[in-house]
Amino acid sequence: MTIFHAERQVVLDLLGKPRDAVTFVPSPPDPQHHQPVFASACGQPTLDALIQPRPPQSARACFQPPSESLGRYGGGEGPPQAQAPPTVLVGLRACDLRALELLDRVLLGEPYQDEGYRSRRQAATLISCDCVDCSEACFCTSVAGQPFPQSAFDVNLTPLNGGFLLEPASDKGRQWLGDVSLEEASPEQIRQRDSQRNEMTLRVQKQNAAFPSALTAEKPPALPEGDDPAWQRQAGACVECGACTNICPSCYCFYLYDQLLDESGRFERVRTWDSCLLSTYHRMAGTPALKPTPRPKLGGRLANRVLHKFVYSPEQVGLLGCVGCGRCTEACLGGLDVRQVLREVSA
Amino acid sequence: MTMTMSNPASASPYLPRVATVAEACKFTPKEAWFRFEFADGQGIQYAAGQFMEVSVFGVGEAPISICSAPGKRGDLEMCIRAVGDVTNALHTLQVGQTVGLRGAFGNGFDMDKVAGKDLLFVAGGLGLAPCRSFILDALNHREKFRNVTILYGARTPADLLFTKDLEAWAQRKDSTFLMTVDRGDENWKGNTGVITTLFRKMPKVDPANTAAFIIGPPIMFKFAVLEALAMGLRKTSIYCSLERRMKCGLGKCGHCQIRNVYVCQEGPIFNYAEVMRLREGI
Repeated sequence: MTIFHAERQVVLDLLGKPRDAVTFVPSPPDPQHHQPVFASACGQPTLDALIQPRPPQSARACFQPPSESLGRYGGGEGPPQAQAPPTVLVGLRACDLRALELLDRVLLGEPYQDEGYRSRRQAATLISCDCVDCSEACFCTSVAGQPFPQSAFDVNLTPLNGGFLLEPASDKGRQWLGDVSLEEASPEQIRQRDSQRNEMTLRVQKQNAAFPSALTAEKPPALPEGDDPAWQRQAGACVECGACTNICPSCYCFYLYDQLLDESGRFERVRTWDSCLLSTYHRMAGTPALKPTPRPKLGGRLANRVLHKFVYSPEQVGLLGCVGCGRCTEACLGGLDVRQVLREVSA
Repeated sequence: MTMTMSNPASASPYLPRVATVAEACKFTPKEAWFRFEFADGQGIQYAAGQFMEVSVFGVGEAPISICSAPGKRGDLEMCIRAVGDVTNALHTLQVGQTVGLRGAFGNGFDMDKVAGKDLLFVAGGLGLAPCRSFILDALNHREKFRNVTILYGARTPADLLFTKDLEAWAQRKDSTFLMTVDRGDENWKGNTGVITTLFRKMPKVDPANTAAFIIGPPIMFKFAVLEALAMGLRKTSIYCSLERRMKCGLGKCGHCQIRNVYVCQEGPIFNYAEVMRLREGI
């Protein structure tokens, strides 16, 4: 695969180039997290986000929106989901791409390919980038990941010496590059990229030295059963807000409900994100004696979330459910750090 | 509310098909039987043990087992207990009113898998509803099976469901039907006691060659399984139906997850060996 080198301005021009597709770039981090991170690139795009740690939100919402209509009924309308408009997502990290792989296996898996997800996925061009900085919460190297993408992107960008290396990997990617003239990267530049990647890997490994590592789908951590008191102790800090599931790039659970559209009795079926930590998530009708609502205790639900990520998901789809982005750790109002949870319940 | 509406069967599986309440019958104050006919005229194919997502428009959607004989047909039956928002709303529906149906979902069970065996059905309370689909399937193809035994337990005589079926099954010469109530009343002349007491009254089965279908509340399931195991039945030949809050029915929404299983996909019919592995299943 040919790798190219380009100056900063060339990449800026690529981002700003008028296209049929809407380009989404990470906006500069907002300490309050109050603005959408993957925002439409309007005005002068900036490359700052590409050399900063991965954005505090993932691009999951671009593929599975927090709320969407799945169709209307009551008036004979067809499905509302026409083909999704083309998009370009810039600045995805290796962890984000791994999360998409998991979402693909679930939402496009048997027995039904989720129409909305498939459409948005097909319409998206993925421009990923190496991490040249990381957050304290990052731990991709502990879960068999690396801080640089190796596959599943259309073009990968490596920030290098003020410029970029560009690695197109698909027709979609080459189309995004268009007819811009690029020089092939020199062997020296490739060596620099590799050593930069090694350094970054070592840095992430080093900051996670105190936590469980070398976790893979084949070799998940040995965790206690969900009714073990260790989980209840961890849950003491959880305030059951669901921030961890909302921020997670690989969480996909959702809820369905109907919304009345007008007086004539037409309905819209709406899908929203849901969270397995909330007490309402598994709730079943009936008296507890007859139909036990599973996992009535918060400790059991926290256990289930962690066990699903690290144990059940590998069994279900062959992939760890956690990509080590650490976003849940940053988002947690109770200060829970998933690495620490893993360490303490395994102790 | 009654609405005229239609939507093609080819539409998204997240959207309900419209069905009409063709017949309804209140079995007890809490349990009613319904027969639904699809408004689009395109029937449905389902197996014993499968479930539907039932929508009451403007109220919500709930997963409910089918209780009629499986096959390809234009209608289906359900026996529904009023316990939550959707099921209470269902109980107010009159013949001719409409509901939404999605499905059929779940693995279901192909009775041909147990052809040539003795069959033992153990139904407790509302567990008779899903179990009835298996029983009717077996009785409709009686020649495929050896001895057929049906055990049914309810709390009181007033709680008995499908009383017409119970009478018909009791009349049959080609199968055994026994029922009991936990507490009788002045008119009750039948068995009293929990359902496990029937195990001692039923004809002997060939344990190595018997498939048991045990469906009922968790407490009944636990004790009935102990009886079946004591009789020498294999764990893999004891089947049950798990209840969970299936939301999408398509293995995507996560709500029915138990360990590494989505009940709406790999269940709701599991054998006892699988249920033991699931731990929190029952």
